[in-house]
Amino acid sequence: MNNVNGSVVGSSSGSGDGSAPRRNSKRPKYSRFTQQELPACKPILTPKWVISVFTLIGVVFVPIGIASLMASNDVVEIVDRYDNVCVPPNMTNDKVAYIQNNETDKSCRRTLEVPKHMSQPIYVYYQLDNFYQNHRRYVKSRNDAQLRKHSQENETSGCDPEKRTKDGAPIVPCGLIAWSLFNDTYIFAIGNKNLTVNKKGISWKSDRDHKFGKDVLPKNFQSGPLIGGGKLDDTKPLSEQEDLIVWMRTAALPTFRKLYGRIEQDLNAGDVITVTLENNYNTYSFSGKKKLVLSTSSWLGGKNDFLGIAYLAVGGLCFFLAVAFTIVYLVKPRKLGDPSYLSWNRNPAGH
Amino acid sequence: MCRVCVYKTNSNLSFSFAGANDVSMIQMADVGVGICGQEGRQAVMASDFAMGQFCFLKRLLLVHGHWNYQRVGYLVLYNFYRNAVFVLMLFWYVLCAAFSTISAVTDWSSVFYSVIYTSVPTIVVGILDKDLSHKTLLCYPKLYGAGYRQESYNLHLFWITMLDTLWQSLVLFYVPLFTYRNSSIDIWSMGSLWTISVVVLVNVHLAMDIRRWVLITHVATWGSIFITYMCMVIIDSIPIFPNYWTIYHLATSRTYWLTILLTTILALLPRFFCKVIHQIFWPSDIQIAREAEILRKGSDQVGLKPDHDINGRV
Repeated sequence: MNNVNGSVVGSSSGSGDGSAPRRNSKRPKYSRFTQQELPACKPILTPKWVISVFTLIGVVFVPIGIASLMASNDVVEIVDRYDNVCVPPNMTNDKVAYIQNNETDKSCRRTLEVPKHMSQPIYVYYQLDNFYQNHRRYVKSRNDAQLRKHSQENETSGCDPEKRTKDGAPIVPCGLIAWSLFNDTYIFAIGNKNLTVNKKGISWKSDRDHKFGKDVLPKNFQSGPLIGGGKLDDTKPLSEQEDLIVWMRTAALPTFRKLYGRIEQDLNAGDVITVTLENNYNTYSFSGKKKLVLSTSSWLGGKNDFLGIAYLAVGGLCFFLAVAFTIVYLVKPRKLGDPSYLSWNRNPAGH
Repeated sequence: MCRVCVYKTNSNLSFSFAGANDVSMIQMADVGVGICGQEGRQAVMASDFAMGQFCFLKRLLLVHGHWNYQRVGYLVLYNFYRNAVFVLMLFWYVLCAAFSTISAVTDWSSVFYSVIYTSVPTIVVGILDKDLSHKTLLCYPKLYGAGYRQESYNLHLFWITMLDTLWQSLVLFYVPLFTYRNSSIDIWSMGSLWTISVVVLVNVHLAMDIRRWVLITHVATWGSIFITYMCMVIIDSIPIFPNYWTIYHLATSRTYWLTILLTTILALLPRFFCKVIHQIFWPSDIQIAREAEILRKGSDQVGLKPDHDINGRV
């Protein structure tokens, strides 16, 4: 950055006669890069550019906003909160005791009405509120090496407090994430015909292939005094336990949904779906909420108006700014590059 | 005498001379310039800058001094912004994670952010960006007053930059949050989205301020975004990491791309707006000289001949 014309280093004192040939011999070799004379583009913010930029943003954003809003409106979503109503009336005062008691009947019936035609595949999600799967201690409480290979089943580092049984045998899969596996189940029926829920392929294929081993079987799981969630089938390898794989993909936010399955038939408007659910999972200890969600999907994903509204808002604002700046430039034009605007010309008395 | 001058004018004093007995004066001055010549090299060794002839002093001050000040001033503000926007974005997430200091951005990306993703454009702009050509600067010595009046870096500019950083970090965090709330997105995908958003935003922010685009600048700025994607693809292809396959999963989703576009435009909108307002109503000397140089090439009023460089678009 200290680019000085003429040589600096190596100049010798001596009979500094300063004759032209000697001075030229000290001059560094000319190159466009070192003399910073590379061909360059120097953009400048003229009125045309300002108005064009705002107009362009408006022209691009408003159609995207409209398309997003339309896509979101096309999505049909049924959300049903059931944790507060699926407790028997005589136990509403002590929901925690109800949920932790193995003897109580946990089944519950809910009815959902389909508001609009829903085309398959219809995604069944369970939504949890106030459940911080993104807490640091929770996110780190797993051991990926153990999940991948049977030979690594003794790797339980990081899984405290769910790493080993009292006898020192390793728990497979270890860690709090697996231990708190969600275990409510749902059975859907219209009238007296059952709706089959496809529970295959609900997890990421990359997880099934590379993160959860085909030879790893659950061992000593939920065998301690504290039961955190569901139990696992000891005979099925982890790569086939898709509910576990879905659950172990820790959610980003405290209110999240996880895929339970897919209903692969259309539902018509006005259909009444009966849901027989098992209210097993304890969210009462931490005032969490459980919701059952049935949703179609569009090219944008689930139902979310935010993108559409945000794009429309920004596009509209940019159109408004384009018009405003056009008016400003017409009312108060400033000749570009006019030297009379230079500070020493504007107040010649000095600044 | 040197010390007296500094106190009286409250400015930076630079002193240049040739003698060997003035070494103490060079060291006393804020910027000491030595001439190497007949009387030996003691002055050169003690000085901050050394030259061959007295007549180079004019270029040193008016051209290189001006460029240096503009570059350093801008870069300091930009570096504050670049680091603060990343850290603030991580901070807002902590508020959503029960204050448990989790970082949604993977460890490797956090390290690479400063080293690979956003460092090269900063360096290139710091070396190559010029606001005015040397001919304009030599012709109008009063433009040097921009440095004297601290127009490139002052407390006011710093706080405006920090306010802008706060806005940008809020947009960076909340736009993906609102887009993906109540959805089944996982923490690493969200982190991946935030990483690429911040890199795109920070580079486009720099691109908005670059005053002289050379091929290397294009390669550095857009190349950094491309390199970020490549690094994320490589990191997400290693099965032992928790974020395995996230980028492949996300890249097929249109929502992902729309979110990045919205974040970038919304975050930069206030800055662009303020820039335009400033240039319409309160143009600085440098702005006017730039306009004159680029838009009125060869005009008699400004009295400048066209530059070596290819001139800007009108």
